[in-house]
Amino acid sequence: MIQTVRNLAVHFRTTLNNLKSNRQVSFVTIATIAIAFSILGLFLVVFVNLDTFLTTWSREVQLVVYLEDAISGKERESLERVIAGNPEVESVAFVSRETAWENFKSTFSAKSEFLKSLEINPLPASFNVQFKQTRDRVEKIRQFAETLRKSPGVESLEYGEKWIGRFEKFMIFLKVFLLAIGGLLGLGLIFIISNTIKLSLYSRQDEIELMLMVGATHGYIKTPFLLEGMAQALIGALISVGVIKFVHLHMKLQFQDTLEAIARGGGFLFVSFSQVLFLLLASAAVGWAGSYLSINQFLNSIQKR
Amino acid sequence: MIQLYNVFKTYGGNIPALVDVSLVIREGAFVFVTGPSGAGKTTLLKILFRWENFDSGQVLVNGMNIGKIKERNLYLLRRTIGVVFQDYKLLPHRTVFENIALVQQVVGASYRALKARTWEALKSVGLSHKKDAYPLQLSGGEQQRVAIARALVNSPKILLADEPTGNLDPEIAHDIVKLFERANEQGMTVVFATHNHELIRKTNYPYIALNRGNIVRA
Repeated sequence: MIQTVRNLAVHFRTTLNNLKSNRQVSFVTIATIAIAFSILGLFLVVFVNLDTFLTTWSREVQLVVYLEDAISGKERESLERVIAGNPEVESVAFVSRETAWENFKSTFSAKSEFLKSLEINPLPASFNVQFKQTRDRVEKIRQFAETLRKSPGVESLEYGEKWIGRFEKFMIFLKVFLLAIGGLLGLGLIFIISNTIKLSLYSRQDEIELMLMVGATHGYIKTPFLLEGMAQALIGALISVGVIKFVHLHMKLQFQDTLEAIARGGGFLFVSFSQVLFLLLASAAVGWAGSYLSINQFLNSIQKR
Repeated sequence: MIQLYNVFKTYGGNIPALVDVSLVIREGAFVFVTGPSGAGKTTLLKILFRWENFDSGQVLVNGMNIGKIKERNLYLLRRTIGVVFQDYKLLPHRTVFENIALVQQVVGASYRALKARTWEALKSVGLSHKKDAYPLQLSGGEQQRVAIARALVNSPKILLADEPTGNLDPEIAHDIVKLFERANEQGMTVVFATHNHELIRKTNYPYIALNRGNIVRA
């Protein structure tokens, strides 16, 4: 245990010395990592907020079942029983043609002259169905709507399926885009870190060879370089979190009202703590991978003599 | 004990470095390896601590068939061997003390043991007063003594020296040989590569002569 702590102290010291002696290259690497993770992080912020908007909007979705004008009383009662009998339905309210017309007129009172000239009520009666708040609420509404569509007396159904479907597709696209950009940036960063570590390795080649000659294990040689790569990536990622937070705060101050209106009261969100943690862990993994690539290549080149 | 049986080594596949070399060096012996430049002295020494691989044959060092040791386990062999080079291979940004202590650090010695053994090694080569100096502040002879202290600090069973006196004046070279003799008296096997025939003649130890990778006298 004491030995491990002592070795770690030696490795940390070596890592710090490496970072210091390759100050310029390390700075460029850290800056590149910070920029790359900032781009990824900003996309993540956009994604998080759009996802929240979608969830907020989805919560407000209700199923409106428009009835045929000629629907009989029996058919209407039977339809109401079917709707109320669905375990996912929270409440169902009947809106008569007259009530619908009154609601319409009060909503569009500014156009009262035009409305007064209309002598007929063009609106159908309907059932407004509220569903319970569950994770797959929209999907359940969608399924139930399909079963109701062909019921007698039903004229049409409305639950905003078109825009929800489009928005969901857009979110899937955004998710794939985020994954792709994350993967590509990660791969790019691995190569950048790998190159920096390679420079660090070559600047200490004599020392490494000497350590191997006197009986250092591969683990002993590798550890400070793996730590160096991880440290660079972590510092870069931490800076990027700062950049994202700054941009987030700026946006919030500048566009709070607009964003609240779009999000229907919800504020402009920052990435969650677990997402920040994931970003940092991902950066450490990228740093480790980049260093591992270089140090393994380097040790193999020495071994192949 | 060092045993080589029919060892062949080529560089680039066709430049022979060692040709059918077989030899035995007993435990505790002091042996010179001599020959002109390009004879294969350095290659032979590098093979003994598996810094270089060989093409065929068998090499046994301290009872280990070194051709069969996996790369990740080579450190076990190397910890039993001390190596001294003609160009010293001292790290310029580390002090004399740190250069020697590095070897102890690598094998995971405790700080107390590291300090005591490094100090002991420094004293044995008569350089305790230079412990805080940097290699480039020392003369050639002093640098070589630091290198010897570094090779001795882990008390290896075998001490390999590749032209350790090659860059030194005859008088200083004589002092350096004395240090190797002292190590040998303590039971270490010493394999000393040199092209200096005068040195071999004066000290009267057995020698192995190489020429173009072939043993011409053992």
